[in-house]
Order: sequence, then C-alpha cells, then structure tokens
Amino acid sequence: MSASSEHSAASEHSASVGILFGGILVGVGGILLGVQIDQNGSWSGTGWASFALGALLALGAALVRTKSQGRLPRDTLSIFAAVTAFLALAFVLAGVLAPGGPWMFFEMFLIVAVVVFRKPNAESGRWMSFGVLGMLAAMLLFRLWIAYQGSENRWQVMSVDIPILSSLPFEFLAPIRSVALGSFTPHELGFPPAGLSFAPTMALWAIGFALCIAGFVLAQTSAREHENDRIHALIRTLPAPVANFVERLIPEDEWHELGLHGLPERRLAKRIEALVASRMSRQKELQSALDQSKLLTMTNPGGFAGGVYQAIVDSKPPEAGT
Amino acid sequence: MAVGLHRALGENPRVSETTTGARNRNTVAILVASVLFVGALVVRGIPPARTVAPEDVVEDAPHIVEPMQFLGAGAKLRAGELDAWVAADRKARFKALRDLVYHLDGCPGTHAWLDSVDGQRLERMLGELRTGKREEAFAALALIYQIARATEWKPGLMASTPQANAERLGGLLQDWLRTWGERSAKDPLLAEPAAATAMLYGRVMRVAWRAPIVGTVDAPYKRARTFLNELLGTDRSKRTALGELVQSKNGAAIDRFVAGGDDLLRGFDSDALTLFPDLNGTCGQ
Repeated sequence: MSASSEHSAASEHSASVGILFGGILVGVGGILLGVQIDQNGSWSGTGWASFALGALLALGAALVRTKSQGRLPRDTLSIFAAVTAFLALAFVLAGVLAPGGPWMFFEMFLIVAVVVFRKPNAESGRWMSFGVLGMLAAMLLFRLWIAYQGSENRWQVMSVDIPILSSLPFEFLAPIRSVALGSFTPHELGFPPAGLSFAPTMALWAIGFALCIAGFVLAQTSAREHENDRIHALIRTLPAPVANFVERLIPEDEWHELGLHGLPERRLAKRIEALVASRMSRQKELQSALDQSKLLTMTNPGGFAGGVYQAIVDSKPPEAGT
Repeated sequence: MAVGLHRALGENPRVSETTTGARNRNTVAILVASVLFVGALVVRGIPPARTVAPEDVVEDAPHIVEPMQFLGAGAKLRAGELDAWVAADRKARFKALRDLVYHLDGCPGTHAWLDSVDGQRLERMLGELRTGKREEAFAALALIYQIARATEWKPGLMASTPQANAERLGGLLQDWLRTWGERSAKDPLLAEPAAATAMLYGRVMRVAWRAPIVGTVDAPYKRARTFLNELLGTDRSKRTALGELVQSKNGAAIDRFVAGGDDLLRGFDSDALTLFPDLNGTCGQ
C-alpha cells in the first residue's frame, strides 16, 4: 500500500506540475507576444483587435472540440489546463495573424479550415499535429517578414522587376519597372507612430510563440496524464486484487479511446462497470467456445483444417501473471 | 501530535503532508499563472508613445521670429536683423559681408565667386559662424541661401566641369548640415530650416549629378547618398532625430530615397523646388 501510494503521489505530482508549468509558460509567452518596441525604444502593446480575433478563433476551436468529444474538465487542474490551452491558442493565433487588411482575412480563413474545424486524433488525443504547428510557424514567419519589410519602409511583401523594362535607362519608365506584390500600410500592421524596431520585437515574438506552443503541448499532455490518474484513483478504490484485474481487463492505453476521459465520477464508475461486464462476457464466451472445441477432436477432418483445429485444442491458457 | 493524530485516523502522515504541500504549491502556481494571463492581456492595451506635434515655443528672451523668412525669396527684407545676433568681435565683418552678399549683382558662377576675394572672406566667415552660437549658425545658413539665390549653379552647356558650381554650393550646405543637422532637430529656431536645407542639399547635388549633357557624374551623387544616409539614419532601422523630422515633413522624398532605384534624390529635388521655387540655379531667372 505504501509503495503504491508513493507511486500514485509521484505520478499525480508529475501531471500537475506539467499543467502548472505549462500555464506559466503560456502566461510569459502571451506577454512577449503582446508587446512591441518602437524605434525610440518605447514599449507598446500589439492591440486588442488581433487578440480578439485570436480569442474568437480559439473559442470556435474549443467549441468544436467539446462538441466532437463531449467532455468537460472535472476538477481544478483540468479546468486550469483547459483555460491554459484556450489562452495559448488565442495568444498564438493573435501572434501569427497579420494585424489588419486583406492578409489577415486570408489567414483567418486558413486557420478556420485547418485549426478550428480540425478534429483531434482519436488515439493520441492531440489537438495539434506537427503539420498544424508547422503551418502556424510559417504564418509567424510571414508576419515577421512583413514586419521587417515595414520596419525598412518597404510597404509590400515583395517587389518583382519586370525583365526588359527594368533594364531600360529611361526615367519615365520608373513607375512600371517593377510590380509590388501584396502591398500594405503601417496602419494595417499596427505599427507604433515612431516605427517598429524589428530586431528586438522579432526576438520577443519568436520567444513568445515558442513558449506558448511549448506550454500548450505540455499542458495538454499533462492534462491527459491527469485524467488517467483520476481514473486510476477511482479504480484503486476497489479491493487491490479486483483493481489489478480491472486494470488488466481495461488497459490504461485504451482509456482515452474508450471515452473515459472527462466523464464525471458517477458516469465514469458506471462506464467502467459496463466495460468490465462487456469484456468479461466476451471473455466467457471465448472460453466457452474454446471448451466446446474439444469436441472437434472426435470430428477432426484431418488435413490443413484438421491441423488448425488440433492446434486450437492443444493450446493451453497462459500462466497467470505472464 | 499531528503524526499521532494521523496514525489514529489511519492515514499516512507523510503522504498527507505531501498532499497538503502539493495543494498549496498548486494554488500558488495557479495564482502566478493567472497573474501572468492577466498581464498578457493588459500589455496589449499599452498605448504607443505619441509623436509630439511641434508647438510654438514661447521664449522670454528675445529670439528670431519666423526663421524661414530669412531663407525664402523675401530674405533681403529682414536680413539686417541678423546683425544683432552675431558676436560683437565679428559683427562689423559680418555686416559688411551680409551687405555685399545681399546686393550681389550679375549672377556670377558660384565656384568662381567663392574663389574671389569676397568669396574667400565669406567662406572664412561661414566657418566662424558655424562654430558659434545657434543664432550665428542660423545667420551663416541665411548667407548660404543668399549665395544660392544670387549666384549661378545651374550647369553650363560649354563648361569643362559642368557640375562644379552645384557641387561647390552643395559643399557649403553639407558643411552646415554636418555641424548643425542633428542638433537642429529639436531646436525651435533651427529645426525647420535644417529640414528644408536637407531637401535643398539633395536638389543641388542632383543637379551636380545630372550636370553633363550626356550621362551623369557619379561622384556628387554617391557623396550625397552617403552623407544623407549618415545624416538622416535612412540606411538603418533607427532614424536620427533629424531623419524623423524630415520623414514627418517630406515623407514622400524620404520614402523614395529609401526605396532605392536609379534616381534616389528626385524626391528631394521636387520638394526643394516646392519650398524655394526661386532657387533654380540661375538667380531666379
């Protein structure tokens, strides 16, 4: 009992620390993603508008996820993990969105399609795949690029020289020598009046993005462990031999897939009861079928089919504990 | 006692203490994270530092009123007021030179006139004034503008070095900007004249660059580009104080200069022509 309690306490300790540390990472990352530095060295906020859009998208993603899974956080740590995940997603989305103009709406459509309406992986329970993380990182790079262009007083994503016209030495051709792609304005970028100091701001945003993503992943993974601990604790209220048997019958790896995560305690107990009954029933049916198969020895037809029948009859149940 | 009580209740005291400690730790961590979350929301509302609009500075002491009038076409009408701002030991020489420059006739070439006796005296006086008080520096600038107005710096068709006049005038403007440009940005007397002078410098050096009938002279163009980048901070992300002032007053010219291309100084040329239409290099003709 003592060793088991210590093990359990250590396990819960690990999950809760993961959730809390994830929350702190997301808090720090959110602060870094929310500030910018102008060319006079003054600090200012990135504004409420981009955060409101990020929060809206994160809320949509959370609602879609809740609807598809039908689970709610059941204790303080789970609620904190959910809040952490929501804020992390809001901070990240607000951080990678272009702050205004047509680019912002294009990115919003992309996020809605790829993040908001994405169903989590049923087996792992992970909300964001590496592909989605890569897309968000690419969007952050794009935002950093246009911020760099703006900080250098170039108000377009890129300028492409027109091959022949750009080489002609006639001044009157200047307006049509190159084509500006994806133009934008300082207002759309939410720049401070004194202009953006790119290098320190880029460092803040990149670190903030990394912290938010790390905190998000850590909190989500730890929340899953925390749910497993909660189910484990309920099973451990049974007498030890029964609890061991139940955990062998319903392995921990299957708990998430079987829909045990996020259930209230009463429904969780009922669900476990139902699962035990179902699996025991199946086990007994299988055993009965194996017992009846002894009759086959008298009706063994021989050949390939007979060989297989004989192998089934001769097989012995595995030793307990192996 | 606590241990005995736990044993009486059938609990493992060490585990209970651990659980209580963990709960306290969790509470503290949740509070810290919550404060960080609130902070992450609050920082987004920090307003950016506003650019301060220039205000009329009320000085108790006597000061030069409307300094741009000393650089414009009507400068001759108020030129005499400058005498009062020059130090006593050079006031007489200044007055004589001021009188000479403001009554210069015949539109001589800038280069040739500056090489004359009077021109050399003027250059020495400009050097003295540049190292004096701000009002004396302004008086020096007014004299340079008058030189630009009363001498010819437009390239001649038959000259062997057609850029020489404009380049010489550009040299005078560059010397003044190098000494007073950055200091002028926040000076109520010199800010506007310095910004206008940067425009005029770009225009004069562009004239020098395009002086030949066929082709261009690269040296003045490259010199102007290097100097303006240094003066305004346009080759780096942090502008100088004068660079910010010029950006706010002549943004299109600066944007064109920063954007690159074949003719960086074109914006300076057009803005200077707008500010001083009579400064055309042919004595206003």
